[in-house]
Amino acid sequence: MDLTAHPNRIALGLEGSANKLGIGVILHTGSSLDPSTSTVLSNIRHTFVSPPGTGFLPKDTAKHHRSFLVRIAKQALSAANVSISQIDCICYTKGPGMGAPLTSVAIGARTLSLLWNKPLVGVNHCVGHIEMGRAITGASHPVVLYVSGGNTQVIAYAEQRYRIFGEALDIAVGNCLDRFARTIEISNDPAPGYNIEQLAKQGGRVLLDLPYAVKGMDCSFSGILTRADELAAHMKKGGKAPDGEPITPADLCFSLQETVFSMLVEITERAMAHVGSNQVLIVGGVGCNERLQEMMGAMAADRGGSVYATDERFCIDNGIMIAHAGLLAYETGFQTPIEESTCTQRFRTDEVLVKWRK
Amino acid sequence: MTTNPSQTSTKRPPSPSILNTSPKKSKPSSPQTMTADTPPTASSFPLPKILTNPSSTPPLLITQGAESRLYKSTYLTPSTPCALKYRPPKPWRHATLDSRLRKARTTAEAKVLEKCHRQGVPVPAVYGMDITQGWMAIEWIDGIPVRVAINSHLNNPQQNDESGIKNLLKQIGEAIGNLHKIGIIHGDLTTSNMMLNPENQVILIDFGLAAQSQSDEDRAVDLYVLERAFMSTHPRAEKEFGLVLEAYAQTFKKGKSVLTKLEDVRMRGRKKSMIG
Amino acid sequence: MALERLSIENVPSTHRVYAALFRDVSNSAFLQEQLLSRNPEFEYAFLDASSIISRIHLLAAIFNAINTQTNDALKTPNVHSEVVLSLSPSNNISEAYRRWGVTPDKTKGLIAVKIVVTAEEEEEITAKKVWEHLSQHVQGTPIPLSDEELSKATDWPKVKKYYKLNGVPVLDKFKDEDLKKKQMQNLILMGMAVRGL
Repeated sequence: MDLTAHPNRIALGLEGSANKLGIGVILHTGSSLDPSTSTVLSNIRHTFVSPPGTGFLPKDTAKHHRSFLVRIAKQALSAANVSISQIDCICYTKGPGMGAPLTSVAIGARTLSLLWNKPLVGVNHCVGHIEMGRAITGASHPVVLYVSGGNTQVIAYAEQRYRIFGEALDIAVGNCLDRFARTIEISNDPAPGYNIEQLAKQGGRVLLDLPYAVKGMDCSFSGILTRADELAAHMKKGGKAPDGEPITPADLCFSLQETVFSMLVEITERAMAHVGSNQVLIVGGVGCNERLQEMMGAMAADRGGSVYATDERFCIDNGIMIAHAGLLAYETGFQTPIEESTCTQRFRTDEVLVKWRK
Repeated sequence: MTTNPSQTSTKRPPSPSILNTSPKKSKPSSPQTMTADTPPTASSFPLPKILTNPSSTPPLLITQGAESRLYKSTYLTPSTPCALKYRPPKPWRHATLDSRLRKARTTAEAKVLEKCHRQGVPVPAVYGMDITQGWMAIEWIDGIPVRVAINSHLNNPQQNDESGIKNLLKQIGEAIGNLHKIGIIHGDLTTSNMMLNPENQVILIDFGLAAQSQSDEDRAVDLYVLERAFMSTHPRAEKEFGLVLEAYAQTFKKGKSVLTKLEDVRMRGRKKSMIG
Repeated sequence: MALERLSIENVPSTHRVYAALFRDVSNSAFLQEQLLSRNPEFEYAFLDASSIISRIHLLAAIFNAINTQTNDALKTPNVHSEVVLSLSPSNNISEAYRRWGVTPDKTKGLIAVKIVVTAEEEEEITAKKVWEHLSQHVQGTPIPLSDEELSKATDWPKVKKYYKLNGVPVLDKFKDEDLKKKQMQNLILMGMAVRGL
């Protein structure tokens, strides 16, 4: 198929690598070699929320995705107001992510592909975040901070790859926040990180001492989590802060956020200094956090640049980013044959050949 | 199981949401090299107080690193050039954390440089420091960053250059081996944090994240940080990185067990991408 | 006049520094007594030249003391005593006075340092007054404050002990005496810089 003669290209994208099931439809118009406009036709999401004090288990999450996939796909199509014949390809998350939910959604994507006779495109979840972030914000050559429940990476593009300059050496920052939310048993609705952020806004009286673990452009969060959990146990026994007042959940959330976000801003700044960029793009669920955006913005402004971030529609896992990144690859001739349409828990950002960028 | 309502955004053109007030201009996209030497963007940074005092040559901002700015100045006499490393307060960081980090890092850096010096590992000498103000005056090292040296080798693939780049990588391995031997971890090894001086000697610089440690784990992470920085900075020299590790193990007797540990650290790095 | 106005890079314009070197000083006890009794006419740093290796060494101590003063962080009574402490790699003040300050009978080579803050009068007048006072009270022979004269006065075994320079691996690497001395000077400056850390 000669895509250059095809002025409008439409992709359906399915995402379900963690506890969000997202399906979206995107339209690219203009030359396929250099898509001039991307238009979000629809972007629907449904989240599996586990009770306070618990995390989402793969089995239950997969069941959630299976139960909702048809309903959400129908909603996405009708909201986009496109007919099946207009769709060029079906894009799905190949990885990384949790095995069971990834598999559920991949089966859904294959089914649609066979049903409608459309080519499949397997997409790297992280690349989806990056490309959507670039499209929404217009950041041309940013250093990307990708922060979510499963990933903490500082990324910059070079020679057809998104290269990972720094990352968490143990658990992801979002995982650290989610697990701490479980420790102090705050709600997972709409998201544990969101509730930590709200609680942190009430803190600020004291900064409790937590380990600060940055190694070059890498960092680690498990030591911080351990210490924060200890402080939480101390709080439950009526422990006092250094100023003599009782420790509150707000103090803990505030101190945790201030410490881990300082680390993220620092490693991002180090990568910027290293590659000579003054743009930062924040993607991933933790990227919604306004305190993180504020700190990052101040840092970037100091370097004569700016921060680019998206709101929760695009920051949090969604289907449209998979549709968009998949369509970019599809436009370069990339397809995933059905017999290769597997998914994988491990899929590094730098494994993807980014043919659509110079 | 509880669920929250789905969020929709239909037929809405992508809305740019830029969080910064500074106007976003679409500059012509620069060549995507990772090695672009960006001149410091703002010469209007407030100088550290010490550099507002009279001196024979005006201070020159050399680099704006992540947590510090490096100025070229003079120490005591007009004929003693020095690098003044200044850690400015970071206003977005909590003031308590900021002052704790700045003091701890300036102190640790000076101590490490002193130890290296006494033990004969070539690093810049510390002339003076002020942990309250957050600056440190150190010996000025002439030369070019190793990153630039490697790239100029890569860009001039002449016959002699293969041995040139190999020799350079060997020297990097030796320098790190000697550092680890005396119980120091650099903490931020990149090819930008090494200088090639006019005598063609590799000198490690920027010990801002250095620490004292004898553990194989810490040493392995130190190498892993370099390995990844190297791969992303010099993708075309990726295959040659083994030379660094080879020279490292030759220089540092205990280096072999560090390299074994490095395998573990690498694996851990990969495993992390399991969850999306 | 053997008094020299020292110009030091990055010292605030509010400060003027004067210094003179004497040899064969015979009244070190008297000079120390004036400091101990806080005689306001004797606001000087009197240093034992045998503990100093070079002009850079001296300038570094003065620079550090002035910087400490501008930070409002003096650990000793005034900027002059702070010069003496600045020479030490440790925070032990009385030890610093003993090792780098004027010592009765022992001090033969003497460096007198005068730091004047916000002097409104003409520089020549200040210099003249300082020199008149010094030459009147220091019984010794004024000589140029040069690296050459300073190195003649240096008691190396003592300096090496004070700055822990014996058995330091880096010093074995240098055969050339000038390079070795440069290395020692760097180590001394570093010891002073990281004092008490």
